[in-house]
Amino acid sequence: MIIVWLVIFASTLIYFFLTERVSNLIQILSVQGALLFAIAFINLENMHLLGLILVLLETLIVKAIVVPWFLNKLRKTNNMKRLMENVIPSFYSVLIMVFIIMGSFMLGYFMNNDFVDVKFFTIAISTILGGIYFVIVHKNIFNHIVGFLIIENGAFLLSLAVGGEFPFLVSMAVLIDILMAIMIIGVFVNKVGNTFGNMSTSSLNQLKD
Amino acid sequence: MLLIYFFSIAVLLAIGLFFIHNKFVHRIGILLFSLLHIGLSVIAYQNLDSIDSFYFKMDSLAVLLSGLLSLITIPVFYHSWYYLKRHVPERRLKGRFLSLMILLETAITGIYFTDNIILVWVGLEITSILVTFLVYHERYPTALEAAWKYLFISSFGITLAFIGVLFLTVHSGNVGNDGLSFSQIASIANDIPPFFLKGAFLLLVAGYSVKMNIFPLYAATVDAKTTAPFPVNALTSTVLINAGFVAIYRTYSIIGHTEYLPWAQNVLMIIGVISLIIVSLQIFRVKRFKRMYAFSSMEHMALVTIALSLGKLGFYAALLHLILHTLAKTGMFLHFGQIRAYFQSGWFKDSGQFMTGSGVSALVYIFGILTITAIPPSGMFMSEFLIFKALYQSGDYFILGLVLFLLTIIIYVIFKYSMKLLYGPRPYYFKEEHVLVNRFEPISQVVLFSLAIYVAYFTPQFLTDLINASILF
Repeated sequence: MIIVWLVIFASTLIYFFLTERVSNLIQILSVQGALLFAIAFINLENMHLLGLILVLLETLIVKAIVVPWFLNKLRKTNNMKRLMENVIPSFYSVLIMVFIIMGSFMLGYFMNNDFVDVKFFTIAISTILGGIYFVIVHKNIFNHIVGFLIIENGAFLLSLAVGGEFPFLVSMAVLIDILMAIMIIGVFVNKVGNTFGNMSTSSLNQLKD
Repeated sequence: MLLIYFFSIAVLLAIGLFFIHNKFVHRIGILLFSLLHIGLSVIAYQNLDSIDSFYFKMDSLAVLLSGLLSLITIPVFYHSWYYLKRHVPERRLKGRFLSLMILLETAITGIYFTDNIILVWVGLEITSILVTFLVYHERYPTALEAAWKYLFISSFGITLAFIGVLFLTVHSGNVGNDGLSFSQIASIANDIPPFFLKGAFLLLVAGYSVKMNIFPLYAATVDAKTTAPFPVNALTSTVLINAGFVAIYRTYSIIGHTEYLPWAQNVLMIIGVISLIIVSLQIFRVKRFKRMYAFSSMEHMALVTIALSLGKLGFYAALLHLILHTLAKTGMFLHFGQIRAYFQSGWFKDSGQFMTGSGVSALVYIFGILTITAIPPSGMFMSEFLIFKALYQSGDYFILGLVLFLLTIIIYVIFKYSMKLLYGPRPYYFKEEHVLVNRFEPISQVVLFSLAIYVAYFTPQFLTDLINASILF
């Protein structure tokens, strides 16, 4: 069952590069959040109550509801519909993403490590690299936030891959920290839009001497 | 519970300053915080190597850097007062600035004392958020650009570091609180598969490089320092850099207990040399004082990174250099407050004839420039000499030659810009009546630069003991 969820998760990575509609990007992030909950719920069989609450908070509440709601608000405030500022055409990006997934699979397979779950590791590394690639090929700072959130989702999957479970208090600190960072990044995106008139990174070049 | 009390009182003070817009309350607030921090450092020194509040440890490195932070807190807040008086008319914004400064110092203190790999990460992320707001404090477009870049790249770097932490816990399974302490991870480091151990080291160093102002994520830090108010720079270029150093140093302590130590040393050496090459190329394009100081900080951190790869002598030199750099760079950024008040600008093109216009302040500037370029009698000459000696002893003659060559270029460029400030022609639009001068303002910088000399040439025994106790291997 879990492999099905992971395959669906991997396919959302490709869809990120196919769409230019901002609302679609936000929806895919929300879907990823829900998928992460399903994957974590099935994977962590003997999860205690606090652990379950934390996973529920981090995935369903934060990643699938709060962050997409916040991004939607940003989208409406700045009247963003389509963001077509790709450095590389979508077709090539999709191909590159497919190669990233294949490469991650090879890496996981050849690593042959007893401590790591290969299927999780493969998708986690693909997601992290895909997120970094998403940031690199887009010039719009809204897309940079989307890329950053994809990387965050990859980090969450990686924590499942290595099987590590942190103490509750420490996990809460991490969660609050990430949530605050995303909110503040969002606020600053808004300010950049208001001040510079657009959200392209090409307008953010006044600092160079 | 000492540190929990410290954090609680500091946060309450910060909240108080944020909401109460009264001059007297602001003064009392920063005075209380300064005393609180000094008290913490003294008690921590008396209880060396004890565990506090479960997650914190008062080890030599933490006590050393906390003491340094206590020392610069007083001049930084003193000059913050001048900054707010001259450039921030609104009382509400003054309270917000002081409140954020207190929170930043508190977060940095937490990073020094934390013996938990995740809490160091959390602390560094908090500093990213606080520095972002401080950089954007004057609310002009370039400050917004710098704040945005800093926040985004810092968050990106911190996420990379988090992936590194996950790599380190690959062997631990369900880790308890003890399992996340640096010493505990170091004790099982030999069991971590090499791919994960090396990957974790690379990710953590790359992620925290944004705080330590070194390659690869240095750019956002330099931009932030170019636009941030100078008292903020006096913290971000010194004690926050030290926090980044602590994070990397403690990560290094993990891999240092394994057979991959030589590999990690090579990584640090390469990062240090690349950082130095970048500084020597980029400094030619600099047109602002604060940007020049930011690149100077990067140069010194590159030297510290190189020193870390050179064994015991290198460690001693790195820690001494870190202390001296903190004293010197705090002084330089505080001195920048006078340059800005005099010329009403921070650009080279708007400055000139500083020696004839403001002789005492110009002399202090020369004292400071000699200190940060490590020209004798600068104390930093001593620590740089130790780094060169360590390079020579390890047989890295080519690196030694390259480092000396790159430093020569950097010193030449810094002096070229300084000559323009001191003796160059003033711009035609310079207006004498706009000049703001306070003849007592340079005193704190003279004290800091003199301390840098004293510490280097007449190192007090307790300081030598703390440095030696902090040396890893």
